[in-house]
Amino acid sequence: MIRPAPESRWTPVINAVLLPAVLVIAWQIWAVTLPADTRAPAPVGVVAAFFHLAGSGGLFSATLQSLGRVLLGFAFAVVFGVGLGLLMGSSRSVKDNLDPIIESFRPIAPMAVLPIAILLLGTGTPAALSIVAYAAFFPLLINTVHGVSRVDRKLVQAAMTMGVPRPRILATVILPAALPSIMLGARVAMGVAWTAIIAAELAVGAKSGGGTSGGIGQMMFVFYAYSIDLNGIVVCMIVIGVVALLIDRFFRATERWLMPWRY
Amino acid sequence: MATTNRAPKLKLSNVSKEFTAPGTGQRTVAVADVSLEIQSGEFICVVGPSGCGKSTVLNMVAGLAEPSSGTIEKDGVPITGPGADRGVMFQDYALFPWLNVRDNIGFGLRHGTPGKELSRSTREERVGHYIELVGLAGSENKYPHQLSGGMRQRVALARLLANGPDILLLDEPLGALDAQTRLILQVELLRIWGETAPAEQRKTAIFITHDIEETVFLADRVVVMSTHPGRVKAVLPVDLPRPREETIRAEPRFGHLAEEIWGLIRDEAYRAIA
Repeated sequence: MIRPAPESRWTPVINAVLLPAVLVIAWQIWAVTLPADTRAPAPVGVVAAFFHLAGSGGLFSATLQSLGRVLLGFAFAVVFGVGLGLLMGSSRSVKDNLDPIIESFRPIAPMAVLPIAILLLGTGTPAALSIVAYAAFFPLLINTVHGVSRVDRKLVQAAMTMGVPRPRILATVILPAALPSIMLGARVAMGVAWTAIIAAELAVGAKSGGGTSGGIGQMMFVFYAYSIDLNGIVVCMIVIGVVALLIDRFFRATERWLMPWRY
Repeated sequence: MATTNRAPKLKLSNVSKEFTAPGTGQRTVAVADVSLEIQSGEFICVVGPSGCGKSTVLNMVAGLAEPSSGTIEKDGVPITGPGADRGVMFQDYALFPWLNVRDNIGFGLRHGTPGKELSRSTREERVGHYIELVGLAGSENKYPHQLSGGMRQRVALARLLANGPDILLLDEPLGALDAQTRLILQVELLRIWGETAPAEQRKTAIFITHDIEETVFLADRVVVMSTHPGRVKAVLPVDLPRPREETIRAEPRFGHLAEEIWGLIRDEAYRAIA
């Protein structure tokens, strides 16, 4: 009789780590075979670059700057996206009037708006911010409209038969009932906002000639165009990935906190 | 029975309701020419096969729907929209899933007209009173999805009563419950309505159901409706003494009344499944 090996509680962890570890080791072995003057990144070089960048504080402040822009742009998108979404979701005529405009802008990628943003707002924070807000606006709006349109009519009627005035129903019934959908939109929006800020900073950095636009995207641009440091670029990529993961985890935690009735 | 010649609490005069299908423009008459006078403190049950427009009548009294023709008056004043004076208990309870038991019951007091003049502590006291009354003490912090069907029904009833309406509109409130829970809650509903209190202290209630025995057990008068279009077929007084106990179901008079109501509905019920 064949008995399966007993599952330790570490088995999933080992399974998750094993393949990446093998790949990194293989990468390093391959890198050692390259000529000494190569620009190709290697694990050891990436780790060294990380400690160098982290030690100088540059990596941290660049990440913080990008994150700050994302949060501010995201905040704008929440105000306009959710606000407009509530209006469009609860009024047929508002929706019918705005839908064509929104649907024609939606397929225009944030990057396609960047040239105009740079020309109008320059190469600083306002341009990057507006791209983030633009990118995050659509998922928030569309999910809010969807959430509001799906609110159980009985709940609204129940509030009406308790003498709750219309505007108050919006805040006390429609908003909480649509919240799960809005939060889903917020999570998607935050994801695209983080993607957009890196691209915007790369492009803004290019335009300003690696100047003072700042942010992790601009840091990458400098490694790419000036110091040609591939290890540095890989460090930036990893940081971008980790931050995106943390943002997502933060949102999941927020959902639990905001909507305890769902868990 | 409250059939004195006082002015009626509710008066429906030749009420009709037509619906127009959005795409085709086809019109359906849901309710045709319903006239009814309901006295203050009366418990009215409306029974009829599905599609007879009983819920539509209730919605019109609640002010959630407007009659296509005819008038509905409460205390001589035409009804123009929803108001906290006419509380509704919905078929599926319509509890707010994001609020716990206490906040669901206190919703109208906090956000609506019923609590406008009340201080915070008075409102909390009243919510506490109704939690006790419907037997939900200990479950105040639970969310609706954590409650059984019977408990949800109690929350909905407490929420309805906490707003202090003088007319209770109950749309198949016991429909989703199992048979045993249903029997228990029927007795409880009568107690809460004020069966043991003097008649003038009772609230006016309109209770919709498709359960014939339920109507006999609960009602002062039973309104039997028929379909296509929905109209009032008969109004039967239930001359059983109050307070009504479980044992009343075994009495011959109870059976006769149920039989009589069934006789009025039978043909249509058979036609509906044919």
